Amino acid sequence: MECIMQGIIETQHVEGLAVLLQGLCGSQRQAVKIHDLCLKSGPNLGQVPSEMHLMCDLSHQEPRWIVRHVGGAMRGAGAEQMPALVRSVLNCRISNNALRFFHSLGYKLDHELLQTGFKFQFHKVVPITVSVTSVCKIPKLHMIEEAVPITPGLQLVEVSASTSGDNYTEVAAAVSGLAEQLAP
Amino acid sequence: MKSIESLNVTRGARWEAKAAQYRPMLRDQNLPADFARDLQSIFFSENPSKFFFILRTEHMVVEADSNVQDIMERLQTYRNRLTFVFEGYQYQLGDFNLKAGRAVLNGESIRGIVLEVEYLPVSSIEKSRTLLQEFVELWQDVISKHSLNGKISHLEPPFGSYLLSDTYSWQHTAVQYTNMMTHFLSQRS
Repeated sequence: MECIMQGIIETQHVEGLAVLLQGLCGSQRQAVKIHDLCLKSGPNLGQVPSEMHLMCDLSHQEPRWIVRHVGGAMRGAGAEQMPALVRSVLNCRISNNALRFFHSLGYKLDHELLQTGFKFQFHKVVPITVSVTSVCKIPKLHMIEEAVPITPGLQLVEVSASTSGDNYTEVAAAVSGLAEQLAP
Repeated sequence: MKSIESLNVTRGARWEAKAAQYRPMLRDQNLPADFARDLQSIFFSENPSKFFFILRTEHMVVEADSNVQDIMERLQTYRNRLTFVFEGYQYQLGDFNLKAGRAVLNGESIRGIVLEVEYLPVSSIEKSRTLLQEFVELWQDVISKHSLNGKISHLEPPFGSYLLSDTYSWQHTAVQYTNMMTHFLSQRS
């Protein structure tokens, strides 16, 4: 599971936010460059439609592939009290033939995005990641060099942390607490 | 295993490999299904952090963290059709590591005996090929001398068609064991 809060920031203020994050975190920022491929099941496959994401992390010398499944968000009265979104998320490393594999299983590419920017890793109660990224669409199939920002003047800020079933209240509070320090 | 233990070889830990074959879950059986129908998987007790998928027609082996099973469960697109468990004991004989055990289909029917031989000093498949063949031939003599029935049949693994390198890896082992499962399934019970 994951606790997450999301917001937006104008591109002109990104470096100012980076300075604030470095001061709060105390460590260097890390580059983010992720090619996100959203795959959906073919028309006759499975009892219900399904989707997953193949994320290719391009920030290292060798690309690293992860398959990611995002489930539904927590619902009910308890969820409404939560300061952060709590949802089911599974991430799993996979070999670099994953795209061809899922295509053979009957999954089709629905859309692909490129996220570029940076992130900081915090340790408050639990490890928390704050990332600031530009989300770009890819006009030609897999041509990430030609990616263009979906919203040129805005970038996405995400504050997220992993949680198990029994500590999500504390984790959500920690995520929300950190997010409040970043709010203008 | 009697023939191995008669040579005063030290029995090591138990080992287990669990292989499965899947079929796609179709919403309508009458509609065309343009996707794989030969998905297999294998999990090794000695390498619990990893899980392997094989697509035989595509000659593809995929390696993933073992929690990929949870993701496949949530996607609900492929269902387990049958399971093969290979299980037995390991033995150390000099530079050779032996695994001997049985292959059991769906927890009920023993479909055969398996013998895996590993030559520890060399990880090149080509360089160790002759040595391993000679070792297996020696083992066939041991079995005969103990008046045991049966013949060791070597299953040549199709590494070349999977474009795997000459350096042996867990992906090679995954191909070997799923190849064995397919072989046992093709034999009459």
